[in-house]
Amino acid sequence: MSAETTASTTRTARPQEPGKARATIGAIVLVVLVIGGGFFSNAQWSKFPDIFTEGGRYFYLMLRGIVQNPFSEPYSEYWVQAFNGMLESISMAWIGTMIGAAISIPMGFLAARNVSHPALVQVTRVILNAIRTLPELIFAIILLLPIFGFGPNAGALALGIGAVGTLGKLTAEALEGIDPGPVEAARAAGAPRSAILRWTYWSQVLPEVLAFWLYRFEINIRASAILGVIGAGGIGSVLSQAFRYREWDFIGILLFVIIVVTVVVDSVSGAVRHRIIAGTGKTDKDIDTEPVGL
Amino acid sequence: MTVASPAPAGVARPKKPAPSRFLIAGLAVTAAITVWAAWEIDFTLGPLFENFANGWVVVEQFLRPNWGYLDNAWTAWLETISIAIVASFFGVAVGLIFAYMASNVTNRSTRLYRLTKWFLSVLRSLPDVAYVLIFVALVGVGSLAGILALFIFNIGIAAKLTSETIDAVDPGPLEAADAAGNGTFSRARWAVQPQILPNFLSYALYIFELNIRSSVVIGYAGGGGIGYLIQVQFARFNYENVSAIVISMFLVVLLIDQLSQYLRRRLV
Repeated sequence: MSAETTASTTRTARPQEPGKARATIGAIVLVVLVIGGGFFSNAQWSKFPDIFTEGGRYFYLMLRGIVQNPFSEPYSEYWVQAFNGMLESISMAWIGTMIGAAISIPMGFLAARNVSHPALVQVTRVILNAIRTLPELIFAIILLLPIFGFGPNAGALALGIGAVGTLGKLTAEALEGIDPGPVEAARAAGAPRSAILRWTYWSQVLPEVLAFWLYRFEINIRASAILGVIGAGGIGSVLSQAFRYREWDFIGILLFVIIVVTVVVDSVSGAVRHRIIAGTGKTDKDIDTEPVGL
Repeated sequence: MTVASPAPAGVARPKKPAPSRFLIAGLAVTAAITVWAAWEIDFTLGPLFENFANGWVVVEQFLRPNWGYLDNAWTAWLETISIAIVASFFGVAVGLIFAYMASNVTNRSTRLYRLTKWFLSVLRSLPDVAYVLIFVALVGVGSLAGILALFIFNIGIAAKLTSETIDAVDPGPLEAADAAGNGTFSRARWAVQPQILPNFLSYALYIFELNIRSSVVIGYAGGGGIGYLIQVQFARFNYENVSAIVISMFLVVLLIDQLSQYLRRRLV
């Protein structure tokens, strides 16, 4: 016994390697899924090399569009159209965010467990989840086009409805996370229910909720481009039009404007968000609950 | 102070502080932007009341979904799910490499780090539909365009989420790896990867969900799958069929959400 102990101190046995069976099975399943996916997607893989043969040429054409003198015809017209489209997209995104924010406030209160009745909470959450499940495009198609026709107005409303799902859920979660102290104090002082909601609940979540709204605005800018493809106006409509006619230099200018404006708006909005939530103990990561691009 | 008097006489209520200039300026700017934006897109709710009858005809059709049509839809669903699997697999795999390059922790070259960050923010600033349009122009209408577009799109998201996780890893194993003289690759592989793997896999599942959700957009722009079917049926005014597809989409998304949540809970 003692001999054995001394032996193991001089030369400790290497611990057994943990089993890899689970990881191996997982890897095999994944490979099968990916190969199956490659097959069942009906993708024409034979066209894959076209990216390299055609891609370089198109990329060159796009770059050429950007570097042309922007004051010469037809490039001045391209730049004006690109900026107008982008302005329209941003407006759509802004109005959509405003609509979503306005509707999400009551929805958020109704969906917060510490505010409203349990049955109401359940009902509201089901509605919010249903909205979150469906992409904005569906709202635009189903409800808005028949009534509002094609155009940015329908787009803004679709973005607004789409935003209610996420914003309502995040507002409810923020409300559930508040410090109950002020609520008790207000109640003890005999404040009416409306005053309690306004001055203890709402005051505590306001910075966070504002940050959510701004974040949603950033998401909506991208989403508005998506809606443009079905004819909701904005840069998306201009872009799909340009693709239809294969005007590569115009496409280059459009993509350039989208990238620059999005990056600028993102960083301004990000800085404002950062300033708003400074001191609330929240970080940017708490706000970026879903990555931009939905 | 023996008697708790409700409001001692003579003590004036403290004055309400004036709203800060910051707040007033912020509200003014917000109001100005809102008015301008509403004017820019001619915002109105009027059609809601004027054209409600038109809309109601469509809504009525939507309320009578044609379930029989789903027999045709399932191949499109298979296509959409296949697109999402292939695009998320390769997207997150390449995204992982970019994530290592986009974190100070694993990338020791400041210049390459800045370049990667810049590249990724450009990549993320384009919406998925722009990538679909580009690849449709390159390889034609079909699911290959959808796969390639989502692949590029996924790289951006996967790299952003994962690089933020890498930024926050426990520095202990890194120090150990450095002390033992590891190179850039082996410290990333053996000191960082085991720490981020559960999060990374959960992001991968999340990205798969996102890809299913964006299938409508992908199909509309010419990338194949269920979205293409919606576009065709919508263009033919077959709202009963669109309705059935939308309901099936709702169920599929819900199902995949549940499945992925279950898997994620087991991973993290």
